[in-house]
Amino acid sequence: MRHHRWLILTWLWLCIGSWLCLAPLAGADERLRYPAEPADDEASGELVVHGALDLVYARPLFEAFHARHPGIALTYRNLDTLTLHRRFLAHPDEVDVLMSSAMPWQYRLANDGHARPLTSPQAMAWPAWARWRHELFAFTFEPIVMVVRRELIERFGRPDSHAELLTLLEQHPEALRGRVVTYDPEASGAGYGYAIQESRLTPRYWDLVTAFGDTDTALATTTGEMLDGLDSGRYWLGYNLLGSYARAVADANPALEIVVPDDYALVTQRLALMPRQAPHPENARRFMDFLLGEAGQRVIAEDTPLGAVHPTLAGPGTAAALRETHGEALRPVSLGPGLLATLDDLKRQALLTRWKREFTRAEAASP
Amino acid sequence: MTRRDSLYRRLLTWLLLPLMALGALMVLQAWIEARHTADRAFDRLLEAATLAIAEQVQWQDDRLWLDLPPAALEMLATDAEERVFYALYDARGRFVTGNADLPGLPRDDDATGGQLHFRDLVWHGLELRQGIRRASLEDWRSRERFEVRVAHTREGRERLTGELLRANLAYILGMAGLAAAVVVLAIRGALTPLSRLRHAIRARDPRTLAPLELPLPRELAELRETLNELLARMRRVKANQERFIGDASHQLRTPLAGLSTRAELALRQDDPQRWREALEAMQTTSTRASHLAVQLLSLTRLDNPEYRPELTALALDDLARGAVRRHWSACHRAGIDLGLEAPDAPVIVAGLDWQLEEALANLIDNARRYGASRITVRVIAHPPALEVEDDGPGIAEDQRLLMLRPFHRGSDDPDGSGLGLAIVDGIARSHGARLRLDAGRDGHGLRVGLHFPEESA
Repeated sequence: MRHHRWLILTWLWLCIGSWLCLAPLAGADERLRYPAEPADDEASGELVVHGALDLVYARPLFEAFHARHPGIALTYRNLDTLTLHRRFLAHPDEVDVLMSSAMPWQYRLANDGHARPLTSPQAMAWPAWARWRHELFAFTFEPIVMVVRRELIERFGRPDSHAELLTLLEQHPEALRGRVVTYDPEASGAGYGYAIQESRLTPRYWDLVTAFGDTDTALATTTGEMLDGLDSGRYWLGYNLLGSYARAVADANPALEIVVPDDYALVTQRLALMPRQAPHPENARRFMDFLLGEAGQRVIAEDTPLGAVHPTLAGPGTAAALRETHGEALRPVSLGPGLLATLDDLKRQALLTRWKREFTRAEAASP
Repeated sequence: MTRRDSLYRRLLTWLLLPLMALGALMVLQAWIEARHTADRAFDRLLEAATLAIAEQVQWQDDRLWLDLPPAALEMLATDAEERVFYALYDARGRFVTGNADLPGLPRDDDATGGQLHFRDLVWHGLELRQGIRRASLEDWRSRERFEVRVAHTREGRERLTGELLRANLAYILGMAGLAAAVVVLAIRGALTPLSRLRHAIRARDPRTLAPLELPLPRELAELRETLNELLARMRRVKANQERFIGDASHQLRTPLAGLSTRAELALRQDDPQRWREALEAMQTTSTRASHLAVQLLSLTRLDNPEYRPELTALALDDLARGAVRRHWSACHRAGIDLGLEAPDAPVIVAGLDWQLEEALANLIDNARRYGASRITVRVIAHPPALEVEDDGPGIAEDQRLLMLRPFHRGSDDPDGSGLGLAIVDGIARSHGARLRLDAGRDGHGLRVGLHFPEESA
């Protein structure tokens, strides 16, 4: 575990940093394989999908696709976002569909013209806020949440918004010292992404960072790491966890409660694209149609916690359901060139410098 | 009127073709204008984005520093979801930051601050519009110059160009349609009098030669007047013919009535001697009547404008000599001196011998009948002419032309048919010769001459 973390830290030190390092144990050889079976379906040949999506979530999706098109020999490789990106740039003709939660990188690939436009009925019907140019499609809807332990709720009440969280941190810095955990924006691409989005949403974010610094908030690199600490009772409050991953842990542990802030809640989405040089474009189109169609989206809604986007689907596990309960507060990351700013080197350095300054403001003020 | 050579089509072609060429030119101009307008509108976005980026460029850690405002990139992408590229370069053209290594302008020497350039660019197969801003830091520590380059794809511009062009196209097409309709109506209107004229001519009674009476524009009124003149000529010809037929039937009726009376009288007698006298008288009358019929026939033939006899070369002097020989004895018996004047060399003209012989016979006969005592047949070489001169009473000058009309007689000679001179006139015309009636050489009598054209020899 420690070895792996060191390895990933090294990776991140070298580059911008991966967007979501949620699966630190996921090796390069983690994959699903479904050999072709005789079928009366006209679909045959191969399909290679690379994604940053844990096998436990990917399996129901690919099983459903394989049941629909058994004639296609399917290979899915689960890679971390950085490896996925680099491997694609090195071999752009190796993969048919690219799925990743690293939104800026996926956006940059499409912006640079690496994606093939998809004009099937499913793609044309896809909501405009969840796609870009019919080249890039957001197929999940995952809110960024707080996870709170019962101990904190019993003592101070449940913080339902960022404002209440700030008040709580400012009023009880001693009681909460070391009990709060959040992403380290320097070490985690996801954490950096959330920081840049939040800083754009509200200038009071920096007060929150100062308050985190005051309470000696622990900094983690993955949602999994935060969930471990919360599950074991080491932390009482986790800030900016990926809702889809937290759901499973919270469901298993009655001491944990998921809070979707009611002033604003970031929503991250996984983006899929078909590379221009895809070796099996016909099967890639079939998979995209499945992923964006009602059948694939129903699998996402019912068998995974990722959140289905399809506009006709409602009920638990869909974007529609989440919008009903937290409608006004949800802030999906907009699919636009603003994402490119996230990837700017100088921008990153500027933001991290500011972040560190705000985080250590209390220490600097009281030597 | 074949379809190919229709006035309507000719006018339509020559009016509509330039109209269409003009329309195409206007569409082309509208497209250029629309593209220009769209570029101008969207270039403001490039200008604003480069400005927003340039304002965030600072000097930090001994280098150029940019805190990229995401809004600067967002404003480059409109609803058309353009691809967006940006880059910052330092004074020496080194890449500082950006998402693409965009090409710059060819270096000019004094690129001063605040300069802005736009240009079209094809970069990695993408059609881009690029905006380049050259600026320098407003910092008291450093006046470092730098260059902001941004670019986006043309989808939004093309969409706006299309919208502007469609609006203009509707306008141009409307105008073209209206112009075409006006042209068609104008041509129809202008050509209406022509079809009115056609209808007026077609609707006429084929037997009538009355002039056309309908109001027409000036150009067609001239045509109508010409037609009316032709009709008037035809009316005169027709009147002449009717009078001729009337005269002819009258002339034939008289000897026929005489024959019938003579026969009736003879039948009441029993004496064969009387019968014989009557038969002799009837023979004379019928000979005259048949002579008259022959004359009428030849006159009718000569009056036919389609009649073109085959002319051959013949010698006028031989012809005149033959005529004098044939008529000499008859004249001699009547105590008339018939003579010939002819040059020694033969005079050749193109002609028909039997017609000219007939003409000479008529003229000699006329002269004899109107009391001449001396008749001279004369042949003139230059220009070739044939003359018959007598010393009879002559014809008054104002009566001479009338003499050429059929059945017009200078005196009440019961034997004359009044066709002689008319026939001579017809013969002269069929030979292209001119008939002249003059007084005799010493002022008395009549001289009738056929003057042949010189080149007919």
